[in-house]
Amino acid sequence: MPEADVMPSLALPETLTGSGKPVSVTRLRKTYGGVTAVDEVSMEIAAGEFVTFLGSSGSGKTTTLMMIAGFCEPDSGSIVVGGHDMTRLAPQKRGLGFVFQQYLLFPHMTVWENVAFPLQLRGVPKAELRRRVGETLEMAGLSAMARRRPRELSGGQQQRVALCRALVYRPPVILMDEPLGALDKKLRDQLQTEIKRIQRELGLTVIYVTHDQEEALVLSDRIAVMRDGRIDQFDTPQELFERPRTPFVADFLGAANFLPGQVAEQTADHILVRLDTGGLLKARPQAVPPAPKVLAAVQPGRLVLCPAGDGFCTGTVETVTYVGTLVRVTVRSDGGADTGCVRLELPAGRAPALGARVGLTADPGNVSVFADPEHGG
Amino acid sequence: MIELRSTLAGRITLTVLAILILLVLALPIVVIVVTSFGKDAFGSFPPDSWTLGWYKQLFAEGSKWPAALSLSALVAAMTTVFSLVLGMTAATALVRSELPLRSAVYGLVLAPLVIPQVVVALGLFLLFEPAAMLGSPIAIALGHTVLASPIAVMILMATLKGIDERLEDAAASMGASRLTIARRITFPLAAPGLVAAGIFAFITSFDEFFISQFLSSVDTVTLPVEVFNVLQYNVDPSVTAVSAILIAVAVVALALVAAVRRLSGSGAQDGLLPTETAVGLPAGSETAK
Amino acid sequence: MAVLAPVSDSTAPAHHKTPRKKRLNRVWSDRRTRFGLFNAAPVVVYLLILFVYPIFSTLMLSIEGEDGGFTLHWYADAFRGANLEILLTTLRISAETSLLALVTGFLLAAAISRLKPLWAGLAMLVVVVPHFISALVRTYGWIILLGDNGVVNNVLTDIHFPGAPFQLLYNEIGVVIGTTAVMLPYTVLLLYAVMKGIDRRLPAAAAGMGAGRLTIFRRVYLPLVAPGLVNAGVLSFILCLGYYLTPALMGGEKQTMVASLIDEQVMKQNQWNGASALGIILLLLTFAGLVLLRLGRSAGEALRKRGAAS
Repeated sequence: MPEADVMPSLALPETLTGSGKPVSVTRLRKTYGGVTAVDEVSMEIAAGEFVTFLGSSGSGKTTTLMMIAGFCEPDSGSIVVGGHDMTRLAPQKRGLGFVFQQYLLFPHMTVWENVAFPLQLRGVPKAELRRRVGETLEMAGLSAMARRRPRELSGGQQQRVALCRALVYRPPVILMDEPLGALDKKLRDQLQTEIKRIQRELGLTVIYVTHDQEEALVLSDRIAVMRDGRIDQFDTPQELFERPRTPFVADFLGAANFLPGQVAEQTADHILVRLDTGGLLKARPQAVPPAPKVLAAVQPGRLVLCPAGDGFCTGTVETVTYVGTLVRVTVRSDGGADTGCVRLELPAGRAPALGARVGLTADPGNVSVFADPEHGG
Repeated sequence: MIELRSTLAGRITLTVLAILILLVLALPIVVIVVTSFGKDAFGSFPPDSWTLGWYKQLFAEGSKWPAALSLSALVAAMTTVFSLVLGMTAATALVRSELPLRSAVYGLVLAPLVIPQVVVALGLFLLFEPAAMLGSPIAIALGHTVLASPIAVMILMATLKGIDERLEDAAASMGASRLTIARRITFPLAAPGLVAAGIFAFITSFDEFFISQFLSSVDTVTLPVEVFNVLQYNVDPSVTAVSAILIAVAVVALALVAAVRRLSGSGAQDGLLPTETAVGLPAGSETAK
Repeated sequence: MAVLAPVSDSTAPAHHKTPRKKRLNRVWSDRRTRFGLFNAAPVVVYLLILFVYPIFSTLMLSIEGEDGGFTLHWYADAFRGANLEILLTTLRISAETSLLALVTGFLLAAAISRLKPLWAGLAMLVVVVPHFISALVRTYGWIILLGDNGVVNNVLTDIHFPGAPFQLLYNEIGVVIGTTAVMLPYTVLLLYAVMKGIDRRLPAAAAGMGAGRLTIFRRVYLPLVAPGLVNAGVLSFILCLGYYLTPALMGGEKQTMVASLIDEQVMKQNQWNGASALGIILLLLTFAGLVLLRLGRSAGEALRKRGAAS
């Protein structure tokens, strides 16, 4: 079957534009048999904003989404969409759009019928229905597939139909639950671009759930990093990446290196951390709760090699792995066995030799300092 | 695959025994069908000469079979409708909702399959006799529904489990009401299961003897009761033809179910014999893995 | 960080109530629960009126004396004289039938589980299709087959089988054959499912350790199949207890079973109370079988439960 998985960038139908509404979630809470799945989650989402709930499984991201959709009832808290309280409303009365990971196209309907279904529910007149379904399918490059059944389509095409089905009735907010999770990497990248483009051009409010941090960074205006039913940090991708507020965020988004040490000096324009390996690391100024031990976090891509002896740490290159245009390098630092390895990502041309003695430095702006949770921080 | 090879002698013995047992299962049915076309109803087998006379006799003037047949068909049709309504709602409750006391409801629904039918029949007799409803087709159908609805519930539960519940969620998220979801999504997808449940409810009622026996009156006698009376008291050779018709109805019904399942593309269905599940023995539950 | 806006409205349910009350409230307020109760209502109401209530009134009738007071003499009657004999006959025939159905079912299931899928499917068809054909009709087939001039006796006479022709109808042989044929699909299907689940490498492993065929069968295969044997045996036994058709048509005087007795008492003697008592006895025997089944489901569980019960 010929794959038509490239979505043509056609003009967007005006019938679809400008439909986004703001969402306000206040102290949402949900427990399942004593286990708290969502714990006092609050957030304000602006009209036309793309917000992602990012977290691993069990973090409460999907439960929060399901409560916004109305598929599960919160124990307490409220959900307001476009000024209307929807906390206790049945899903069918909320008028939101939902795109599921498993596509969930109706197997007994054709592509056309699937996309027309929500319009039929709303009693849209035949002529208008035909026009809107046609426009939406055309926008997604699916016009040729209109008469097919879902099972005759590829995964990417099915998800695109699901997207059309959620867009066609212009819901004020579209909720997406890992919509690309079942697709392969290449297709995922393609659809990410398309989803982002459509969202931006139509001014849609999108709430998106994923466990894939790269996907979250590509798509979102703001990301809510969730853990254990709480939001660790709700910020723009750049803020999250450059100024993580918790070690979890630093680790989850940046896969940061955590270097244990103690605060040696704290001034208005920097923090000096005396690392356990002996070196001194300069970090950006930030509020650090007083703690006997701290962790300095630096992302692998923000570390720079320098001659041995310079920098905050000296060590031996242990592994060098080529990943396309990047090399991943691990350096075993001197002074202390349990300090482990520091991970770096360097442009492929700058790869050091195996076993070479190197030093490491980092721009203070890229270094975050956290209280070490293992030492009563 | 590592496995123990059986001896040739063992294999042959087992195969011969298996064929004999299969014959035991098939022979009574074959013998009726063949005999029903034989001239001498109680003569040698296979018959020496052939005839359609017994079938013609069924519909001859003064025959009691057409009345019994139409009563059975009427009762079975009513039972089918009752069972489908009860089956669909019950299956929805058991598969698609949070139900307090779910296992108690499930147990109640399946209980009629393991409770001795005499007891069910006796109880129904005690219920309908004072109400002067003995012999009423509706009473018989209501009684048959006690036996047929558990089967319908089980088939429809399997059907609903096979339909992704989130399709209904998807429809709800677009604004479809419960009724619309049922009409536009669940019902079309469950249609093959509904057909199968209906067919099984129909033949359960059509073949049911004991409840009919207790609930029938002199004027209203269902086909199986009439067959039983004939076999017990005054053997009428045309009963062979009636039996052959009953066999044909069951075989056609099973073929229909198989065809619907194939058409709808649903895979292997569990619970061939609902009673197994009723006593909590889903096939393969004891597998030693 | 999360925007911690103050809660302005108080739509949130009070979560300071006692946990139990909160749970109950939630059970009744949950949409899915209301939907479930709404849908479960028809079948529950139906079965309460047409299944539970009739059985309950049977129970009441069985302990009601002629004067309307409480009595157990219907039960005393059931365990006396001819009635007791019929009860014992019922147990005997049920035991014989379930044993025969178990043995033949075991052989057939063992053979089918060794077949290639296509042949196994065909064989299962021969097992399952008769199950959906009226038991009455199948019994009639047996009457034709087993008669004095029936196929079986004719064949046996033709091959000069010693003693042929036999009296195969209107005695216990006929009843047991006919009833076994009705129960056979249950035992075959149950045992087949168990046998398919057995790891075929286990007997091979035993052979590798030097176990002989008989030892393998006795020490490895049989214990693995045992749960299925218990289930199939008990199930066919309890299904036999209340069985009516085949014994009534293929048995003689001495093969009268409880179901026939109930039928006679209701239809001919208008003796409802006695019939009710017999019905309740059947019901209790069935419950006993079901309890046994539940106990036997897992050997370990059974041991624990029996230990606790005694």
